[in-house]
Amino acid sequence: MKEFLLGKLTDQSLPHEWFTIGGTIGFILLPIAVLAILVRIKGWKWLWGEWLTSVDPKRIGIMYFIVAGFMLVRGGLDALMVWLQQALAPSTAVLGAAHGYLSADHFQQIFTAHGNIMVFFVAMGFVFGLINYIVPLQIGARDLASPFLNTLGFWLYVGGVLMVNMFFGLGGEYAATGWLAVAPLSDLQFSPGVGVDYWIWSLQISGIGTTLAGINFIMTILKMRAPGMTLWKMPLFTWGSLCSMIMVVAVFPLLTATLFLMFFDRYFGMHFFTTTLGGNAMMYTNLIWMWGHPEVYVLVLPAFGIFSEVVATYSRKAIASYGSQVIAMFGVTLFALSVWLHHFFTMGAGADVNAFFGVMTMVIAIPTSVLMFGWIATMHKGRIKFTLPMMWFLGFVGIFAIGGMSGVVLAVPPADFQLHNSLFLVAHFHSNVIGGVLFGIFAGINYWFPKFAGFRLNERIGRQAFWCWIVGFCLSFIPMYILGIMGATRRLDHYDPSTGWQPFYIMMFIGGLIIAVGVALQIVQVIASAIQKRQLVDTTGDPWDGRTLEWATASPPPSYNMAVIPNITTRDPLVEFKKNGFPKQPYEDIHMPYNTASGIYIAACAFATCFALVWHINWLAVAGLVGVVVCFIARTFNDKTEYTVTAKEIEKLEYDREEADRAKKPEPGEDMSLWEFIKIAVAWALGLIGLKRRAHGN
Amino acid sequence: METEQGLESHEAASDDRVGFGFWVYLMTDLLMFSVLFATFSVLRNNTAGGPMGNELFKLPGVLAETLILLTSSFTAGLGMLAARRGSKSQVLMWFGLTFLLGVAFLVLELKEFAAFVHEGHTWRSNASLSSFFVLVGTHGAHITSGLLWMGTTLVYIWKRGLDSHLVRKLSLLSLFWHFLDIVWIFIFTVVYLMAFV
Amino acid sequence: MSSNPTHKPGTQPEHHGTMTSYVTGFILSLIFTLIPYYLVTHKTFDKTELLLIIFGFAVLQMAVQVIFFLHLGREKKPHWNTLFLISTISIIFLVVGGSLWIMKNLHYNMAGMEVMDKIATDEAVYQVGGKQAGTCPAGTGTNHEIMLMGNVATPTHVDAHVCDTITFMNHDATTREISFGTSAQPAMYAGEGSMTAYGRHDTPMRLTELGTYKFHDSKEARITGDFTVTN
Repeated sequence: MKEFLLGKLTDQSLPHEWFTIGGTIGFILLPIAVLAILVRIKGWKWLWGEWLTSVDPKRIGIMYFIVAGFMLVRGGLDALMVWLQQALAPSTAVLGAAHGYLSADHFQQIFTAHGNIMVFFVAMGFVFGLINYIVPLQIGARDLASPFLNTLGFWLYVGGVLMVNMFFGLGGEYAATGWLAVAPLSDLQFSPGVGVDYWIWSLQISGIGTTLAGINFIMTILKMRAPGMTLWKMPLFTWGSLCSMIMVVAVFPLLTATLFLMFFDRYFGMHFFTTTLGGNAMMYTNLIWMWGHPEVYVLVLPAFGIFSEVVATYSRKAIASYGSQVIAMFGVTLFALSVWLHHFFTMGAGADVNAFFGVMTMVIAIPTSVLMFGWIATMHKGRIKFTLPMMWFLGFVGIFAIGGMSGVVLAVPPADFQLHNSLFLVAHFHSNVIGGVLFGIFAGINYWFPKFAGFRLNERIGRQAFWCWIVGFCLSFIPMYILGIMGATRRLDHYDPSTGWQPFYIMMFIGGLIIAVGVALQIVQVIASAIQKRQLVDTTGDPWDGRTLEWATASPPPSYNMAVIPNITTRDPLVEFKKNGFPKQPYEDIHMPYNTASGIYIAACAFATCFALVWHINWLAVAGLVGVVVCFIARTFNDKTEYTVTAKEIEKLEYDREEADRAKKPEPGEDMSLWEFIKIAVAWALGLIGLKRRAHGN
Repeated sequence: METEQGLESHEAASDDRVGFGFWVYLMTDLLMFSVLFATFSVLRNNTAGGPMGNELFKLPGVLAETLILLTSSFTAGLGMLAARRGSKSQVLMWFGLTFLLGVAFLVLELKEFAAFVHEGHTWRSNASLSSFFVLVGTHGAHITSGLLWMGTTLVYIWKRGLDSHLVRKLSLLSLFWHFLDIVWIFIFTVVYLMAFV
Repeated sequence: MSSNPTHKPGTQPEHHGTMTSYVTGFILSLIFTLIPYYLVTHKTFDKTELLLIIFGFAVLQMAVQVIFFLHLGREKKPHWNTLFLISTISIIFLVVGGSLWIMKNLHYNMAGMEVMDKIATDEAVYQVGGKQAGTCPAGTGTNHEIMLMGNVATPTHVDAHVCDTITFMNHDATTREISFGTSAQPAMYAGEGSMTAYGRHDTPMRLTELGTYKFHDSKEARITGDFTVTN
């Protein structure tokens, strides 16, 4: 009976080691505590009605940022743990480990989790947050094509986040197979625990959410642009997002199918990738990389779009060659689908296969270079303002270029036979993902923060964070390139001290610590800006003298984005409007979607199903599936999904807002420095203790 | 001030968007099937000593399944014509017929699966059978979902009558049904016919 | 602006079907189903041709259904649906075709020993002086039989050409280990020191190396002989 109810769950599944206990406290109990405090202060109705059930892409975007930021901290801690292990391994053995302080199996789980978290939950979370918030504003839409799919996609993403944190509390192990869980190591025979199952379902549930979001964004961009905005007049961030979403709908279904096949092997004893009875493990590698390579371009194309916006705005020039930028983005999208074998040159395909994919990989460098030179050409003869986003852009130019060049080295199959799965490879892709995707995200957040919050971010602390990132990155990854060429393999939990590698690993760990300081400073930057928001307030909605439509709205925009959707006649429409005046159109009724809890309910049932499949709790799996179907049918038969805001109501709302804006005046004062922030923080902490003392003592 | 035309064009734009979005979803579904087709093509001969396709499959039964599904696609089309004419009784008749044909298809397919399992050829036997059962079974699962969707919609139409929202739902459903017939054409060809070539 | 009273709101007249299109589509699909069925069950063409023909009919039927049942191409411009379908089909070709190409290549290069042996045998890769010299020009050559019966091998000498086979026909119940060279001077043939001739079984070996080789059974002194392989 117990087996029927609980499947494979036993009391052994509860946390009983230092890291599972720590992980449960830090990543499960702590967020719950934060949410509880929020509910205490603001009330459940506020949380549920204003945020959790919201279909407003602006709200959903902010929620993506918060979850992604939380996962950035977790993924970063994983990275520090890896570096510490590698730095300590030849000379220490503590905490019961044979080398360093982590057992080999635990070490493998950590780098697996690190990879999954950074790609799926940090990068995708931030990118989707930005696309959600900014793209509708840029194209003059009021919402996405399907607000329901938007909230469903977000909650499925949260389901994936929950799943990848859940193992701390139940099960105690994650996949120890590397971030793509290659067969046959991930087969039931060699990974009999629940780790790989958690891996499968956290990816599957968030992957389906991503696919739905991809469909939604494509529908929005292709069908909901402002009148007169042809494709060739769209802003470049929207283009980057469109190309990225086209790639999403092209390749995420491949991931979904492949994960199902791996699940069938493990759950039903099938033989797709097993070592016996006809299974072919190499087919798994082939299929997973068919998804895996385009995935990295999904992440980087919106970043390219962000840089196009940032460089044009702060150079006070239109982008140098709009047409070639668009064609280059499309070129990257197309070629990205035909290079996947470069991840397994060494698996044994012959020379002609390797040569084809090697050449295609090198060809991708061409459109990427076109983009790079386009941005630099935009800066040429511009009146440049070296704000923080521009600094992130320049950091990107240096680091991403190095990453790209090391990629071209790896694209040569004979060279790859030497460098495959070495630290050279690890340094290559981190240069591209950190230099390209992450720096793009940071540039975008600094650039658009005034739009999100109504005040801009502190430049001083931001610069300090930036320099920590640059110095830390160089200290971490330049030794990594060198070690790779010297022969160091990736994913080593220990190595012989006679190799002479330890000093490099120690350098990498110190670099990692500096990056961690950078991340901490970025968090401080946000808090300090909030404290100083009256000094940093954005009164006009257009703090940077922008060129695109999102700057023509209030900061933050009202729920309906803009009262009137203007007719577009040119690229960079705001430049035209500022020259010849904003179009005057009468107010009309607006249809706005109601909030809905259907997304949460469906995602919750889906999560229950996935959890049940991890633990073989068959009744729950079936119940969850039935729940998904029932909630979905209920939603599709719900006809009352929209309400109308009448033209009169809009007129009043706009008038009130304009009056409030007129009253806003930025208070004088410089951006807070780090020292001043520390003083304020210490005073606040002391004040808390003082309050407690007063409450207790007197 | 909301005009009659404004409301109509708002609905028309919304229908257009939803139709296009559903089309893109169908494309993603096609891509999922393509992985299953690729896997089947690669693993079809990995029988680990077990029987090959031409020893297992019975072509006449498969032809019957194919013709049944094709006919159901045709009747679904006729149902859509009736829906656009606004004729509730015809819609119920044609889509009801589609539903019955779909059930007949499923019954034949399940009988085929049951026969294999009875003889000891299950999805655990070898890679070839695993990929067969998953490819054909996934198509069957889609047919089942389509029947569930069809059933609930038909009940709704029977109780509440036909209106523009339901016509839109039926058009998406018939799109789904036609798409499943197209996938079956390739299963028929690649899985069954090619086994005997 | 004129509103069309015969159309329900939210429907565009251009991309609906008519009775004609559905009936035409149905009849064409029937034909394109029955023809390949007939061709396969009556084995009318060679393997490669037949594969291409039935696949061609599948593609044709898909086009019929896409045009006549799904009314593709009749939506108003821009033709996003058509564009997405063509892109999806291209990616499907990439996924399926790419997988087949890659996996076939991997199978050839990375297969286990049993498959390697079979490939070497099928392609009749032979050696001259220990080095690979190419494939057998005319496929498999002549088969020479050596009978093992009553603890004796008959004949004791075989003259063969490269790419021929020698089959040890073991009529005894005892399994024999046929080693190359003599017991004093063991030798290797084609990388193997010996081969197993199972009792009451025929075991062939392909002659892929030139030269004269002795063979013997280490347990039964009367089983001995030699063979010469020339070009």
